[in-house]
Amino acid sequence: MQKMPKRYYAFFTLPTLIAFVVAFFIPLLLGIYLSFTTFTTVTNSRWAGVSNYVRAFSEDNNFINATIFTVKFAIVSVILINILAFGLALLLTRKMRGENGFRTVFFMPNLIGGIVLGYIWLLIINGILINFGVDITYSATYGFWGLVVLMNWQMVGYMMIIYIAGILAIPTEIIEAAKIDGASGWQTLKNITFPLVMPAITICTFLTLANSFKLFDQNLSLTAGAPGRESSMLALDIFNTFYGRNGYEGIGQAKAVIFFLFVALIVLLQLRFSRKSELES
Amino acid sequence: MQKKLLPVMSILMIAAFVLAACAAPAAPATEAPVEPAAPAEAATEVPPAAPATGEVYYLNFKPEVAETYAKIADAYKAETGNTLKVVTAAAGTYEQTLKSEIAKSDAPVLFQINGPIGYQAWKDYTADLKDTELYQHLADKNLAVTDNGGVYGIPYVVEGYGIIVNKAIFDKYFAMDNAMVKSLEEINNFETLKAVVEDMTANKDALGIEGVFCSTSLKPGEDWRWQTHLMNLPVFYEWRDNNIDIASDATKDFQFQYSDNYKNIFDLYIQNSTTSSKLLGSKSVDDSMAEFALGQCAMVQNGNWAWGQINGVQGNTVKPEDVKFLPIYTGMPGEEKQSINVGTENFFAINSQASPEKQKLAADFIYWLFSSPTGKKFVTNDLKFIAPFDTFAENEKPTDPLAKEVIRYVSNTDLFNVAWAFVKFPNQTFKNDFGAALLKYAQGNMSWDDVKNLVVTEWASEYGK
Amino acid sequence: MKKSIRENIVYILVLFLAILFLSPIFIVFMNSFKGRFFISDTPFALPNAQTFVGLENYTSGIVKTGFLPALGYSLFITIFSVGTIVLFTSMTAWCITRVKSRLSSFIYYLLVFSMIVPFQMVMFTMSKMANILHLDNPIGIIVLYLGFGAGLSVFIFSGFIKTIPREIEEAATIDGCNPIQTFFLIVFPILRPIAITVAILNTMWIWNDYLLPYLTIGSNYKTIPIAVQYLQGGYGSKDMGAMMALLVLAIIPIVIFYLTSQKHIIKGVAAGAVKG
Repeated sequence: MQKMPKRYYAFFTLPTLIAFVVAFFIPLLLGIYLSFTTFTTVTNSRWAGVSNYVRAFSEDNNFINATIFTVKFAIVSVILINILAFGLALLLTRKMRGENGFRTVFFMPNLIGGIVLGYIWLLIINGILINFGVDITYSATYGFWGLVVLMNWQMVGYMMIIYIAGILAIPTEIIEAAKIDGASGWQTLKNITFPLVMPAITICTFLTLANSFKLFDQNLSLTAGAPGRESSMLALDIFNTFYGRNGYEGIGQAKAVIFFLFVALIVLLQLRFSRKSELES
Repeated sequence: MQKKLLPVMSILMIAAFVLAACAAPAAPATEAPVEPAAPAEAATEVPPAAPATGEVYYLNFKPEVAETYAKIADAYKAETGNTLKVVTAAAGTYEQTLKSEIAKSDAPVLFQINGPIGYQAWKDYTADLKDTELYQHLADKNLAVTDNGGVYGIPYVVEGYGIIVNKAIFDKYFAMDNAMVKSLEEINNFETLKAVVEDMTANKDALGIEGVFCSTSLKPGEDWRWQTHLMNLPVFYEWRDNNIDIASDATKDFQFQYSDNYKNIFDLYIQNSTTSSKLLGSKSVDDSMAEFALGQCAMVQNGNWAWGQINGVQGNTVKPEDVKFLPIYTGMPGEEKQSINVGTENFFAINSQASPEKQKLAADFIYWLFSSPTGKKFVTNDLKFIAPFDTFAENEKPTDPLAKEVIRYVSNTDLFNVAWAFVKFPNQTFKNDFGAALLKYAQGNMSWDDVKNLVVTEWASEYGK
Repeated sequence: MKKSIRENIVYILVLFLAILFLSPIFIVFMNSFKGRFFISDTPFALPNAQTFVGLENYTSGIVKTGFLPALGYSLFITIFSVGTIVLFTSMTAWCITRVKSRLSSFIYYLLVFSMIVPFQMVMFTMSKMANILHLDNPIGIIVLYLGFGAGLSVFIFSGFIKTIPREIEEAATIDGCNPIQTFFLIVFPILRPIAITVAILNTMWIWNDYLLPYLTIGSNYKTIPIAVQYLQGGYGSKDMGAMMALLVLAIIPIVIFYLTSQKHIIKGVAAGAVKG
């Protein structure tokens, strides 16, 4: 059906588009505009040029600290989650008994919402740390690793499912052929399995990277940035800039634009890199 | 599986409808219900068209009394037909919540500011209240927040804070052979306080307590007792001793001259506590008050508003007649004559951007609350406010032990009051950062000199923001 | 024989990991039955005669946070938003996939682009828009979720629709069906499996969402995540026991949902990833 009368086209697309424009697109453009102004409500904005962007970096170190923290967190999480998920996927594709049950169990943490997740782990981590006479607010390092553990718990199951699908998609003939040729388990893994699940690796990396950067709920509930603001990631820092004090809305919006560009850049780079790797293998 | 999905979804949808319907009465009405204002006297009468009932949206600052406001709303509705919608901001989030709510089309018409600094931040939204009924009845007009003849904040509660003590535990101590003092009256300066506290710590097993002081709660949002209330003392003294007029602009300089005195009492709190100083970052005010109520500690710094928290803990072992205040001693010369800290930082403000009708409704409500028999009963017995209005007779003051203590100290003309200078602290960011620094200091991660420097630097940089 | 010993070791390893994975939930569950002062300091201790308080935490938690209304709102908002999203985004995806034009491409790329934008970028301005347009209530929020969820859902639907042969639809058109009939009678039933995927992904997102409802409807209507966070924020009587009970209660609905449709969820996750 190449041609469709206009009214039908409108019928099919308008509801979605209206909601999209209202809930997303206009706020997006408005947000970009406001990042160049000083404002408290939408109606009383005054043009401020790029001063908000400058102040985002110069006013206090939180933005930079949050960026460093977030980048470190993203790197560690992406690597750990994918290794663990891939490992689990390998273990659970060997036709052992109870495989489906195990998959269910490992996936379950992914269902639990960010806020609830943070409080669950807050209880456990404080319970462990108290034996050392400290609690999670003692140092941002505890917050960092706490978030890493939490993120792993939440995401490993999800990524594992994707890897399982990827592994199961490999035609068994290829594996059989390799075995007949005398390849060891490790060689099979390296030269056959790994390259053939590249698409899954791309997806998983993309998902974990994007989720790690945008993390908010878990950050809020596990540490709320403590001590001070040392363990706040970018999303929480922006939220606090907006709502935590008066007069910083323009800066908050500028930070958000920077954040957005940063995430977009990383995601695009990652996708480009992965596409190349996929093609090569 | 797919076949089952549909009935499951249907059941869920029905359940959702039912629960949402049950929830509807809990959600506050946003439309003014069109009902006759007076209870139906003659059913045949046409309900008056004019004063249709309205709604007063109040953003409440005090989580401790949030539930009481629900009862007040019911009573207010019964008496006047107007709806009172109260939303309570979670501890430490008032400014944030107010900012986001005030920009909405259905903004709060009644809210509060914390004094002259709060007024500067909310100037564009505060209406002039000098012609309102309630203001006429303010006993001491100097307490209000004024600007060029206009009145923008009416204080609605006088409060006092100090060190709350459980006399029963102290009596046990006084009965010991080598007790340092034999009565609470003898503790009238820091030296004595320190000696007694440390002696009690050494004997804590015999006294049956886990620590002399309850946890110094330093969880973010729960640290206001230290970054604001306790900090009040060095600020008060510095401005007093340097003749700085608290109402003037000179308050923008602060040198933390008496930082050692602050350290004195703060160290005493954290080193003689039920909780190790490294674990205070997870403790909340609620935890502290519960420890006090359960008799695990003998002293806790807080104010008379905390009585409800102490009394409300299940299994509390503290008797009302044992609850007393001690002034907060920090080692200042002449502190034998120092009283507790009495003042106010809660001022009613009415949203000047709301419609005149709504503003009038708000003014009527607060007048009703503090002058009508029903309202006053709530204020005295449930909210337990010591109200600064002449509409309250002597026998209409709250009778809880802490309120009585506040009144006792206020009436004692031998002692000088430590006024609430903290109404001139720069802003919430300063307070939060100071609290965070205190936590690090308690954890052993920051030196006191660094804390002092942070205070002085941030005071200057945050002032006026 | 060697192989089966290895298999057994692997099995035990996986079993151990599985138990480890479930333990946090179990720990919270266990603590929800302990008295509120015995939780923070010793979360790993089993309830004993002294610390056990039965269902007290549950009753006080439900009352303190208004959990039942929150459950109602969460259910209402999630179910209707997901339904709305599945309906409208499938329509849009079909339309722009089938009608190749500059407009269709533009819409597609615009929607896909929205998936990258972090929420913080629009949170403030969107909450203002919602307020101006009176969308800041449980019904209006459905529009917000449609706008926000459009990107991912259209993306997934489009990917799937591309694989459906056009002959069936063309046959229907020749038979005299208009596009609406063609879509609802022919295409939509074929979309069922992927629609379930989209429904599940959106359910998980919306049910657990904190920030969007908090900023738009939070002061008047609480959903479950907002209720949980509110309890932590102080409210004058923070109560570890009630908090534990509330965490358990917050998890139960989603676990039930999961156990009843788990096959679909897992299939959907895998399928969604492959299409992506």
